[in-house]
Amino acid sequence: MRDEDLIAEVRAFLNTHWDAKKKRPKAGGGAKEFRHRVLEAGFAVPSWTAEWFGRNLAADQARLIEREFAAVAAYGAGQDKTNLFANTILAAGTDALKREVLQGLLTSEIDSCLLYSEPGAGSDLAAVRTRADRTADGWVVQGQKVWTSGARTAQYALLLARTDWDVPKHQGLSFFYMPMKQPGVDVRPLHQITGDSHFNEVFLDGAVVPEANLLGNENGGWKVLQTALAYERLVMGEGAGERRQGSGKDNRKSLIQMARSAGRLGDPVLRQKIAQALAYRQLNDLNLARAKAEMAQGTASPIMSLGKLAMSRILHGDAAVMADILGAASLLDGEENPESADMNYRALNAYMTSIGGGTDQIQRNIIAERVLGLPREIEVDRDLPFRDSRAVKG
Amino acid sequence: MSISADELAAIRASFQRLLAERGTEADVRRAIASPEGYDAALWRGIGDLGLAGLIAPVADGGAGGGAVELELLMEDAGAALLCAPFLSSVVIAGGLVAGGDDAEDRARLLPRLISGAAVGAVALTGEAGLWTPQDITVRAAEGRLTGVASYVLFGAQADVLLAAAWDAEGPAVYEVAAGATGLTITPLKTFDLTQPMAKIAFEGVEARRIAGPEALARTLDLGRIALAGEQAGAARRIFEITLDYLRTRVQFGRPIGGFQAMKHMAADLLIEVENATSAARHAASAVAQGAPNAQVMVNLAAFACADAFSQTAATAVQMHGGIAFTWDHPAHLYLRRARADARLFGASDLYRDRYLAALEAVDA
Ligand SMILES: Cc1cc2nc3c(=O)[nH]c(=O)nc-3n(C[C@H](O)[C@H](O)[C@H](O)COP(=O)(O)OP(=O)(O)OC[C@H]3O[C@@H](n4cnc5c(N)ncnc54)[C@H](O)[C@@H]3O)c2cc1C
Repeated sequence: MRDEDLIAEVRAFLNTHWDAKKKRPKAGGGAKEFRHRVLEAGFAVPSWTAEWFGRNLAADQARLIEREFAAVAAYGAGQDKTNLFANTILAAGTDALKREVLQGLLTSEIDSCLLYSEPGAGSDLAAVRTRADRTADGWVVQGQKVWTSGARTAQYALLLARTDWDVPKHQGLSFFYMPMKQPGVDVRPLHQITGDSHFNEVFLDGAVVPEANLLGNENGGWKVLQTALAYERLVMGEGAGERRQGSGKDNRKSLIQMARSAGRLGDPVLRQKIAQALAYRQLNDLNLARAKAEMAQGTASPIMSLGKLAMSRILHGDAAVMADILGAASLLDGEENPESADMNYRALNAYMTSIGGGTDQIQRNIIAERVLGLPREIEVDRDLPFRDSRAVKG
Repeated sequence: MSISADELAAIRASFQRLLAERGTEADVRRAIASPEGYDAALWRGIGDLGLAGLIAPVADGGAGGGAVELELLMEDAGAALLCAPFLSSVVIAGGLVAGGDDAEDRARLLPRLISGAAVGAVALTGEAGLWTPQDITVRAAEGRLTGVASYVLFGAQADVLLAAAWDAEGPAVYEVAAGATGLTITPLKTFDLTQPMAKIAFEGVEARRIAGPEALARTLDLGRIALAGEQAGAARRIFEITLDYLRTRVQFGRPIGGFQAMKHMAADLLIEVENATSAARHAASAVAQGAPNAQVMVNLAAFACADAFSQTAATAVQMHGGIAFTWDHPAHLYLRRARADARLFGASDLYRDRYLAALEAVDA
């Protein structure tokens, strides 16, 4: 298919179904219906095969579709790059599971969460102690997860659990897509520093995962987890952590407009800070654009793995500049001080990007090892049977 | 554009070959100790390859390249710490002459610049070294220049000497004869050893107007892109040199690249290096395409690449330890070039401010 024909087709589709001015589906169609149409047209995951909602398009043509959607702020396209759940299940799920959930994932009718972190296993995810045991009725899960964003609304979870305790830590893990709405799952909200309660503790006591919901091989979970983590870091590198959790809405703010309305756009010191903050953001965009261009030509791009670390500097930096623009007003908070409240929220929420999905320090380790080829961190329990490690013995 | 992608790849390969053969660290060290102050043999090699005509118009005998081609070659030049007047002669002097309005001037000056037979230099800033129009203190009146310019790249080596000078239209470009009466050229002792500079005093020096303010502004943009490419390429090379050392130097029974403090510094530098490459290349294509945000991109590249190279070169010394404190180690050559490049054409603060101003125009 020629690029021009594809672009024409996407534009015609958007003209028919999307109101570019009001940035919503045309009259008569809701968001759900629109997402179904996007899926049927093959725009949701264009690089996937036709068997699974795709059109077999090469990466560069898939990006053309995304660009057309982005130009009118329409949603639903480009999920072959951004939907970590759908991509992970496509890559490692059984056909039965794909038939059950892919469509719902791609139309946003299924919400999912990530059951990775535990009280004793954060950065060191391979140390999880939640166990899954195979029974005639499926896998039975026992353990505790923590910091689980969106667990209350999720119908499913990507679950990392231990299935063999007698081998070294990375080798005894399995990865599952677990139904959340069942008796063995107890979700308790945690109060966050932002005042929100998006993340939760999740207690798993006899929860069951059907055999068909094992992703990849038994004890091969570490590898599948890497796929899922890569997608998560990718979207965080593009600023997913800047949106309010659960919302697809980009709420970035113009520092220029903020300074202008505060009457401080002429302050030379502030100008330097604003310019630098805007530059970091633009440079990250340029890097990602270059990475995508390289990937569209078929070469893997190491630049892609820099985005999350870069974004964490951007988000912390933006909030700091906003505080400088607001001056003493940054001491205030609450509904009666909306600008300060917004800035304060951003200053705290920036940690979501610098801690969640692998801390900045872990990202630096990963970049140094996988991109730059420097030696691995020393991991004293790497080769011990997990049962004998400090994660178990204390 | 008259250079195809295949031609560009071939041009770049021949330049890289030339640099690998005749632009080694040993050549750099020989050049900086030479009486010329640059690598005359390498400069001839550049001329022989036709690269001194890279961005000159085809009609004038050049290769007809633009910002994109220039930027890529400058990455290679930067990586090798090129000790030759490419930026000064090919980009700035050549750009100004080609951008000038007089066909006779072009016919007289361009062939020598394009062949590399002549070294071109352009006095662009005053003694404050700010590289702003206000900082140009040379004035043109009745065909004569008066004032002082400084930090002139290859000023003492120039066969074709141009100067930015104020006239009724604004900052314009004048040519003076290299040995003209009233001209005093004083070579400067510079911290960067790879790029000679001079101070030039004009006392009623007879001069010929070559180009107006618009050509000057356009050429300076091209110069900024070239410098950004140089900085991006140099930053990447000193980063690679450092990575090699991290992999091979052993302390406490393991390569120092296994220490987390080193790994984290390296990861942070990689972001800087990639930022620089992206900024320089995007600025080049924005200018080549005449994109509406070209000024945003040029200003962004100007400080992002300067800062990236400075930070990478400075950190590289620390990451090497004592060996990089020795004269014989290349790290200081990059650090010196980084510090010079970061001031050349104006400091980062200036470009951050201009970047914001360019963005304000968009974000009104
Ligand atoms: C807003 C938010 C949302 C989250 N959502 C989820 C979710 O939905 N699902 C989920 O499973 N988890 C979630 N997390 C958890 C997150 O992934 C972990 O918090 C994170 O991986 C760090 O683990 P930890 O908190 O146990 O810290 P630790 O691993 O204990 O780290 C503590 C400190 O030690 C440093 N450190 C640890 N190991 C190393 C090392 N090898 N080298 C250098 N420094 C090191 C860390 O950088 C950090 O500064 C979320 C976290 C946040 C903040």
